[in-house]
This record gives sequence, C-alpha cells and structure tokens, in this order.
Amino acid sequence: MFSSYIENPTNCRFEGQDPGEKILLLLRAHPITNLSWIIPVILLFSFPFFVPKIFSLLNIDLFIIPQTFQIVFLIINYLLVLIISFEGFLHWYFNVYIVTEKNIVDVDFHSLLFKNIDVAPLRNIEDTSSSMGGILNSVFHYGNVFIQTAGATKNIDFHSVPRPHFVADFILDEAHKIYGKGRDAYHHPG
Amino acid sequence: MRRIKFTERGEMPTTTPVNFFESEAILLFVKIAVLIILAFYAIFALMVVRQVDLMSKTLVTKVSPVLKAFSIVHVGVAIGLIVLAWGIL
Repeated sequence: MFSSYIENPTNCRFEGQDPGEKILLLLRAHPITNLSWIIPVILLFSFPFFVPKIFSLLNIDLFIIPQTFQIVFLIINYLLVLIISFEGFLHWYFNVYIVTEKNIVDVDFHSLLFKNIDVAPLRNIEDTSSSMGGILNSVFHYGNVFIQTAGATKNIDFHSVPRPHFVADFILDEAHKIYGKGRDAYHHPG
Repeated sequence: MRRIKFTERGEMPTTTPVNFFESEAILLFVKIAVLIILAFYAIFALMVVRQVDLMSKTLVTKVSPVLKAFSIVHVGVAIGLIVLAWGIL
C-alpha cells in the first residue's frame, strides 16, 4: 500500500484510465527521499523540550509568559509538525509514475493546488536511460529514469525511483511489445 | 530587558526584570496575532481538503478515503483551536 515500487497493483486506478487498461508498474520516489521533511519535523517536534534550556541560557524566566499562552504556543508548534508531516506524506504518496499497457503517466503535484499530468503512449517511446549517483542513491538503490519520446512531445522523467535500471529496461521492453503488435497489425502474409 | 532602579539613599543601583506579559496591551496584541495565525491556518486546512480531494480523484487507492477523512477532521481541529484560543487567551 505504501510501497514505492508496485508491480501489477490491484485496487488502484488513475484519472483517465481506459476500461480494461491494466497498470503494470506503479512507482513513487524512494521512501528515503522523505527525509527532507522528516528531519525538520523531528527538530520541530523536539523544539519545545529545549525551550526551557534556551530560556535559562538567555537568563530569562519562562514563567513570565502566562501559562495559557504557553499552551497555545505549544499547540501551534505541534500544528506545524502535523501539517508539515501531512503535506510531506501527500506529496510523496500522490506524486506517482505509472506504466500501463498503453501509456506512461507522470502525475505531479507541485504545490498546494497545482496538478500536472504527462501522458506518453508507449508506442512513442524511442529511448530510455537511467542514472544513479550519490551516496544515498547507491546505498538505497534508487535513481532517475529518463524516457525520450518521439516528435515534439515532452520527455518524461521519473525522479528518485527504486531500481532505475530495471524500470528503464522494463519500459523499453513494453514499448518493443507494442511495436511488435504494430508490425503484426500491418503484416499481410502472402 | 532590565530597568536600572536607583534607591533614594544613594545605594548601589539594582536591576529588576521587566515583564512584557504583565502589560494588558501586549497580551491583547499577542492574542490578536495568535488568532490571525490560527485563522490563516484554518483557511490553509480548507485548501488542504481541496488538495486531498483533487489528489484522490487523480489516483484512487484504498488510502484515499482515509486521507480525505483526516483532512476534514484536520479542518475541524483548526477551527476548534480558534475557538479554544479565543476562550483561554
């Protein structure tokens, strides 16, 4: 359910999916990329525990602030923790890359209300490449996949997906199958 | 901040800490600031509901209804906090 690499996912649909169109691969960024919001959340969560020490270092008495205000400041702090966590999770969970029998779909939610969906038919795919660089990428085995499409259509990039080399190969194999079907369709024996 | 206080008998000056939170005006100012922040937060929470709705329509999974419910509860909490802060501050 919360995996970043799912082959043949069940109980999962996407906007614009044709009836009978099967999802072959559902990808998200590797979970380790969530550290970019998890670390600030941990710091913010632990901040109230350090406030008395900071106040004592600054030689300020914490009890000059009325207790009701202290409670409200604490609540605001934990609201921030909640919303950063929720937004971080939503961003990770819904930014997906989907490979179906017909298309490649890249769903991006850049900001709060901005949605971008790139769809490229598998038959338009000309070339795929993958790259993996850096310590975290090598340790956790994730990287980028670049998919070049024919003509003036926009290229599609999968960022920080697990097993990038396999994904690139898988997409190209699926494209070859489509090409194979296409050739057969126009093949007139005899 | 400390205020220097001179004694009438000409003794050494002593310092007494100034408590900003004793002033009614400052307390009122902080209360209004907190309420404005919470009001903006509630508006943001409403936008998050819309965002989750948009996301759930784009990718339908088993988790989508749970996330929708959570975002709606979150709005309730955000509005409840405004009432709470209004009451206790």
